[in-house]
Amino acid sequence: MAGPPALLHDSIDPSGSIEEASSTSFAFTRGELLRTTIAGLVIAAGSETSVASAAEQRNSDIAILNYALSLEYLQAAFYTEAERRGALTGGLADQAKVVGAHERAHVAALLEHLGTEAIKRPSFDFHGVTESPKSFTETAVALEDLSVAAYADRAPLITSRAYLVAIVGIQSVEARHAAWIRRLAGAVPSAHAFDEPASPTRVTGLVDSTHFVVERARTSAHGAPHFTG
Amino acid sequence: MGPLTSPVEAIRRWITGSRGAAGSTLLAFLLAAGSVGLLVGLSSPSAGIGTPSPRLPASPVAAFQVPRPQPLGSGPNLTLWAAVTSTTAARSAPGLKSASLISLSRLTPERTSNLVLIVGRGRWRGGEEWLRVRLAALPANETGWVPRRALGAYEVVDTHLVVDRRSRKATLYKEGRVIFRAPVGVGRAASPTPAGQFYIRDRLAGFHKPFYGPVAFGTSARSATLTEWPDGGFVGLHGTNRPRLIPGAVSHGCIRFTNADIERLGALMPIGTPLTIR
Repeated sequence: MAGPPALLHDSIDPSGSIEEASSTSFAFTRGELLRTTIAGLVIAAGSETSVASAAEQRNSDIAILNYALSLEYLQAAFYTEAERRGALTGGLADQAKVVGAHERAHVAALLEHLGTEAIKRPSFDFHGVTESPKSFTETAVALEDLSVAAYADRAPLITSRAYLVAIVGIQSVEARHAAWIRRLAGAVPSAHAFDEPASPTRVTGLVDSTHFVVERARTSAHGAPHFTG
Repeated sequence: MGPLTSPVEAIRRWITGSRGAAGSTLLAFLLAAGSVGLLVGLSSPSAGIGTPSPRLPASPVAAFQVPRPQPLGSGPNLTLWAAVTSTTAARSAPGLKSASLISLSRLTPERTSNLVLIVGRGRWRGGEEWLRVRLAALPANETGWVPRRALGAYEVVDTHLVVDRRSRKATLYKEGRVIFRAPVGVGRAASPTPAGQFYIRDRLAGFHKPFYGPVAFGTSARSATLTEWPDGGFVGLHGTNRPRLIPGAVSHGCIRFTNADIERLGALMPIGTPLTIR
């Protein structure tokens, strides 16, 4: 599978951790998360070029909220797994604990608001990057920068001011997370004067390349049991 | 000009468009500070230097609120499991040179994903992480080490099923609290239900075998006496077409429930739940 687009990769994955993860041999099938994201992209793009009806605008906003939810699912799962596995210490452990709680709160807020329109949480396999301080740090920097760039790209397309207020409030927190983990990684917390937005195509391409989103394990079947009885 | 207002108060009044002396106060502050650049930056072209801006519109209200961040749940009641994603050997210790205990395939005999419970933290050996996992193997309670790369996503459960062979009762705990209790049938003396630490590894339904009832769960427990049984003699949890035998020592090692109880359990117990048989 090809790696992430070079320009995006250079700006959000300078350490190459996501590219490294993408080179692993784990099978990956694009799930509901990414399909919904692409659907959202199409709807939102349509609303840019024509006078959209109220229903279309609402659908576009809901698609963007689901796109945000997909990114929050990813981040929440990443930090939660890092905390549960317990391989981090000191400042990194503190960061994972606090940021993980924030990301779970973002998920909870979006889930509650979207209700039955929310996409389902996919299954995430981080291939062990949460279990080593070095790989955790590199991946966290990439994910946080990615999140900030993704929000910057979609926020201007939100038609409802009420949604925009909520999303901007989340995006600024993501930027703080990015600065925090960059500081812990020994990088400049705010490297540029302007954050380049990242389109959904680029974001989903990058997430796709990590193989972090995987199919759920098959835990049920319809065959007759052969248990001892 | 009145008494000099604090800079913070002056800026607040200026931004919010409060009338009165705020504009001139701010101007005085800025000039006193000699901050020409700041002055230009704060003043809009239409407003002019030092002129209060028009009233800004009211702040919009967010469509939803983000709740207060919550810490993770307590650890003692949480269990991690993962599916085997590539065939591998479970070894006696971390590392490829350690003795192989058993080969782990991707699928169970029921053609579901082959799960293992994660026991404790990983260890790094030879540049890769190894995890200690509970195995679906004889003898009971067997654990082994597998490379992390052979496993898929971690999943978490907060439930625990305990089967007491003496009292013939099954109890399901969630976050340490009892949420289900039912009488069960267990193995006869010649084919006892094995004691030890196991886990639930799949759920079967939609079959038409009244002997097993409407729902059955596969476990990692294996009979020590019926090893020649098809698929290796795994112990299951299932319903029955002879509910009058429950509770009792009536089975070949499986744990039998009434059909109503196994369906109730099925709605409460996720796959990967640890199973203690005592």
